[in-house]
Amino acid sequence: MKDSCSSVTKLLEKYFDQEVTDKERFLVEGHLQDCLVCRNALRSMEELRTLIKVPVEKAVQKEDFPWVWQKIEREIRSTQEKLTWWQFLRSRLDVSPLFKKKVWIPAVATVAVLLFLTAQIVFEKTPSYTDASVVDYVESQTDNVMVYQLEKPKVTVIWLFEGPEKDQTTS
Amino acid sequence: MKRTLFLLILTVVFSSFFLSAAYGQVQVRLRVIRASSVGQSFDPSLRDVRNELGSLFSFTSYHLLGDENLNLTLNRPVSISAHEGRIVLETTLVGLNRGVAEVRMRVVRGGTEILNTRVRLSPGRTVLIGGPRVREAVIIYALHARF
Repeated sequence: MKDSCSSVTKLLEKYFDQEVTDKERFLVEGHLQDCLVCRNALRSMEELRTLIKVPVEKAVQKEDFPWVWQKIEREIRSTQEKLTWWQFLRSRLDVSPLFKKKVWIPAVATVAVLLFLTAQIVFEKTPSYTDASVVDYVESQTDNVMVYQLEKPKVTVIWLFEGPEKDQTTS
Repeated sequence: MKRTLFLLILTVVFSSFFLSAAYGQVQVRLRVIRASSVGQSFDPSLRDVRNELGSLFSFTSYHLLGDENLNLTLNRPVSISAHEGRIVLETTLVGLNRGVAEVRMRVVRGGTEILNTRVRLSPGRTVLIGGPRVREAVIIYALHARF
């Protein structure tokens, strides 16, 4: 009987917390019918729980949780305000979240799709300014002008057929 | 999420700053060359354009008179003088479109405009303006994009 009592005592707390198996419960309940000591121990546990539970419930009812949350938020804000501008900037510039798989994999996939979609537009051979004539206009009131354009090398020549220099002719 | 947004905004702000700084201003290299058929000499500082000059012209002597890096700003003429100020090349950036600079160039001799042209200058292209006479030689202006 004593051995049984000592082994049930070990299970009594689990039984009280409803954490025993069916087999253990059968064992404990069978023992409790015959053992006054263990019944008293179980009753003590119930009384203790009641003693704790009632004041805690009263305190919870009295507590203003929105106010507690506001207080927590204020604390968080004041902690952030203590950061220097440099610490703040560093925390903001921290790119480590970008290296998370759930960020960079969708990002790379999006870029790949965009590149694929825009590749045809980007690499499409369209006439551009570089292919067109380089000289918009050329005029001379005094002499003839010739324009000569090469593509390899990319050189454009504008040549003025000027007569002998006036200074030279007058001298 | 907020951090990503912040980085994105930062990137946009920096990009727009650099774009605005770049917009409306281009750098070009202008070389003033004196070419003649008297003697046979080639200025060593012109060796990078030796083949181009040799294939285009039949002059035997080339001498570099000036080499300038011009920062052209929209509608602000920049003047370069040659032949003791008697020939002036006035270069004006008049437009920028898709990486191509529209440059107006006027050659003035003794107050008289002898040439007026507008060219589209793109990266890698050289525009040569030649012909103004200096005694037995001619002046060639070589304009090259640096953007």
